[in-house]
This record gives sequence, structure tokens and C-alpha cells, in this order.
Amino acid sequence: MAIGRPAEAAAEIPETTGRRGWLAVVVEFCRKRPLGAIGAAVVVVNILVGIGANVIAPYDPLATDYGAMLARPSATHWLGTDAFGRDVLARIIYGSRTAMLVGFACAFLGATIGAVIGVASAYFAGKVDLLVQRVMDIFLAFPLIILALAVVSILGTGIGNVIVAIAIPMIPRAALVTRSSALAIREMPYVDAARAAGFRHRRIIMRHMLPNVMAPYLIMLTAYLGQAILAEASLTFLGLGVSEPTPAWGLMLRGAAVQFAEAAPWMAIFPGLAISLAVFAFNLFGDSLRDALDPRLRAQ
Amino acid sequence: MWKYLVKRFLLMFPTLLGVALLTFVLIRVIPGDVVELRYAGDRGAVSQDVLEKERARFGLDQPLWRQFTTWVIGVARLDFGESMWTGSPIWQEIRLRFALSLQVAIMATVVAVVLAIPLGVVAALKQDSWIDYSVRIFSIAGLATPSFWLGIVFILLLLVVFHWLPPMIYTPFWVDPWENLKQLIWPALAVGYRYSAVATRMTRSAMLEVLREDYIRTARAKGLWEKLILSRHALKNAMLPVLTVIALEFAFLIGGLVVTEQVFNLNGLGMLFVEAVGHRDYTLTQALVMLVAFVFIFVNFLVDLAYAWLDPRIRFR
Repeated sequence: MAIGRPAEAAAEIPETTGRRGWLAVVVEFCRKRPLGAIGAAVVVVNILVGIGANVIAPYDPLATDYGAMLARPSATHWLGTDAFGRDVLARIIYGSRTAMLVGFACAFLGATIGAVIGVASAYFAGKVDLLVQRVMDIFLAFPLIILALAVVSILGTGIGNVIVAIAIPMIPRAALVTRSSALAIREMPYVDAARAAGFRHRRIIMRHMLPNVMAPYLIMLTAYLGQAILAEASLTFLGLGVSEPTPAWGLMLRGAAVQFAEAAPWMAIFPGLAISLAVFAFNLFGDSLRDALDPRLRAQ
Repeated sequence: MWKYLVKRFLLMFPTLLGVALLTFVLIRVIPGDVVELRYAGDRGAVSQDVLEKERARFGLDQPLWRQFTTWVIGVARLDFGESMWTGSPIWQEIRLRFALSLQVAIMATVVAVVLAIPLGVVAALKQDSWIDYSVRIFSIAGLATPSFWLGIVFILLLLVVFHWLPPMIYTPFWVDPWENLKQLIWPALAVGYRYSAVATRMTRSAMLEVLREDYIRTARAKGLWEKLILSRHALKNAMLPVLTVIALEFAFLIGGLVVTEQVFNLNGLGMLFVEAVGHRDYTLTQALVMLVAFVFIFVNFLVDLAYAWLDPRIRFR
């Protein structure tokens, strides 16, 4: 029996590291955290809708139909039409593409740049750390709206510029969080070992420290996804974000939707529901992910 | 502790200076200036000479470093100058707008605290029950709902159900409190929902953490009255992080409500921001950014102060 044990143990290893292990993790997550799984499912649906918008959408989102302006929700137009006779459902479906694009791009940029700055700041410590912290403080105190106004006034409106405007304020917040995790990692023996081995700073930061702040990084990433979608909708609503003719949820709430709110409430209600549902799903998933990844919460 | 506080206090100034520099540069990088915009209507009719004279009047012909130092010295003496667009003193431009934004922020805070603390505490006490799940879903939904859209929905509901619209013209509280509240309660509720969601989640997780502490078990073992354990031992210790998020959200609300203000037709600081940048009103924009940044930095300082005061581990350092 004593000889059999190691073999048994060895046989189990591929199960947890191989492809089946990956699937098992997903199944485990769904079983333990049903709310998170629902959130993830809605996120996946949202992404698929965004990608396949041209296949799914019942109408061209830009096609105007002056015969059916402000039409009520019906069999032909499930969610009604807007002031130009454009199909609300089709525009929501296409808007999902914009929202997902902006959400993922901002969250990725903001969290990644922030993480690199945070880890580097913790690694170099001393004066560099102090200086980086002060610069981050300045950006934290700087109002988002003024940054967005400046970016849009200088670069113009458009998806790319919106992404920049939303990602910049995320960087200092991400840097703060990763820095505090990285401070502990800096004291780890393997970082000392890497330094003793004569590796360059960049290699130690990128290869040895960054992978170890993965948990806070993923938590931030999912939290930022929802925030970015909300920020995009707000900026677009103000006219500082995505502009016509790109279909975007914030754009659908602008102007006519408020003017005709009483006569055609569907114009104002459905895009808002789309925003809420998308962000809700991201948050639901993000919360469960945080519970699963954060060791302090897991211990409970 | 005094050393810590003094250091913490002095650290506010380099940050403010950095904000000043960033604003100063950013607003000037935006193409066009106030003089150009003012005469944009009759371009060509105005000679280059007049434009230059106007610029000289605002000091825009000076080298950038001199403009910056003049301005910063003015700010240090609390003199923000005059608006480049309207010509009236900055304080006069900001005063009413600030009062409005402050009132909405305070009302939203009241809404948030009244909702968040009981909900968060109950959710933590009944962890993983249906109450907990409902509270969590309610608060995640609060984070997901755009405040400005909630505002639109409120207006719509009032219109459809009561055939009534909140007044669209601002009445200061000291003129007619009732009229004033009728207008401002809706934006406060719309913003307060999201705000309460942030605070509820923090209350819940802080309570969960505290309830697992040894001193709670000790208190229970002593046979202390459960209500007393919750109020004196648990809630008091869980309040610090909650206080932090409430304070930071409050600081954000002062200048960050641009979209909600637009929906409710409120002339708060947020809308003033958009106007000021739109006019390239350098002095007004700079003053606004400094004001909002100062509120944020100062609230942060107060939070640290509260920590130092309430947490003996910091107090006796």
C-alpha cells in the first residue's frame, strides 16, 4: 500500500492541471456561487450579442423609417422605435458592441497600466515610490469630468478617445491597490533570489512580481468593466463620448429620449435597462470572483 | 500622533500644487482661447489688433511661467481673480452653484446613510439568508444603475402617475425650503441609491469581519446583551471603513454630478465645469478644479484624522 500511494497521487495531478481541471474549476465555481455564474452567463451573452450584432439585429440600427416614428413596442418592433423610426432593439443590440468594446478596453488598459506602475513603485521603494505616490494622488484628486472634457476637446469624440478618457482615472486607483499587494511580495525570498541572480529590474517586475498580484488584478479588472460601461454611458449622454451614428446606449438616452419621455417612454427605459443589466452582470460575476480569489474571504 | 498629523497635513500642498500645474497645462492645450471664442461670431470683422489687446487684458500675452506663478500666488492668497467670460469675481460665480451642489450632496448622503447602515448590518447578521441575498442584489443593482437614467425614470414616473413635474427653477433653501426640497429630493434620491449601494456593501463586509473578532466572542461569552454587543462592540468598530467610503463619495459628489444635474436642470458645479471649459474660461476652470480637488484632498485628510482619532493603534504611535 505504501508503494501504491505516490502513484495514486501522481495520477491525480494531471486532473487538476490539465484541461479537465480547468473545466472542473468552472463547474465548481457555478456550483458554489450560483449568483456569480448567472452574472458570467449574462456577460457571455452580452459579448456574443455584441460580436454577432449584424446577424441577430432585426433591423439596420441606422435605417430611418419615417412611417414608424415613435412606434410603440409591437410584433414588428419589439421594443418600439425612436424619433427617427429606428428600431430600439436593433440599436440596443449594436450598442452592446460599443459598450463591450469600451468596457474591456478601458478595464484592461486601466488595470494593467495601474498594476505595472503599482508594482514598480513598490519594487523600487524609497524616493521613486514617494514620487509615484504623489503623482497618483494628483490624478486621484483631479475630477474625471475635466479630464474627459480636455481629452475630447483636444482629440475629438470617438471610441478611441473615450477609452483614453475613462482609462486614465482608473490607473491611479489600480496602482494604489496593486502597490499594497506588491509591498508584501517584494519581501519574498524569490525576489531577493532574482535580484541576487543579477536579473534586470524590468525582468523582476514583469516576470517575478506581476504574476503574483494576479488576484487583485483580476478583481480590479472585473470591477472596472462595469464602471467603464457606466462612465461611457454618462460621457456619451453629455455629448463627450461616442457620437452619432455609432449606436451606443448612452447616445440613445440623449436628446429625443428625454424630450419624448412621456409619449414614448420605451426610448428612455430600454437602453437604461440594457446598461443596468450589463453592469449588474459584471458586478455579480466580479463579486463572486473576488470572494473566490480573496484568501481572507475564502477562509470564512 | 502630532508628528503624523502635521506630516499628513503638509502633504496636501504638493498634491494641490500638482493639480494646479496639471489644470493649468491641460486647459491651455485645448485649442482656442476665450478671446477667440468671444469674437467667433464676427470673425474677420475684428482685427488681429483687437484680439491681441483683449489677450493682453487677461495677461494671456505673458510667458506661461509668469502666468502660472501669478495665478498660484493669487490662489495662495485665496484670490481667484475674475471670470474671463463674464468678468465678475470667481467667488460670485461659484457661490450659488456650490451651495446647490453641497445641498444635493448632503441630501444624498442622508439618503445613503439611512438606507445603508441598517441594510448592511442586517445582511451581515443574517449572512447567506434570503435577506442577505436580497440586500446584496439590491445593492449590486444600485451600483449598476446609472444615476442620470434613474433620474429620467423618476421624472417619468412622477409625470405618468401624479401628472406632476418637480420644479425646474432653482429656489434656494433659505427662500422657500418646501419648494427647494420638492426640487432637490429627486436628484438626491437618484444619486443616493448608488451611493447607498457602495455604503451598504462596505457596512456588510466590515460587520462580517468584526463579528468574527475574538472580542465579540468574549462579549457573547460574558453573556452580554446581544443588542449591546452589536451597537457598542461591533458597529462602532465596523464604522471606520464605512465612514471612509461615505466621505470619499461625498467628496466626489461635490463636483461629479454633471449628468444628473443636466437631467434635472440644476445649475450646480458640474454644469459650471462644462460651461467654463466650453468658454475656455481659464480662470474659472482653474478655480473650479482647485475647489473640487481641495474638497477631495481635505476630506481624505479628515478621514485620516478620524482614523488617527478613533484607532488607538494609530493614536499612540
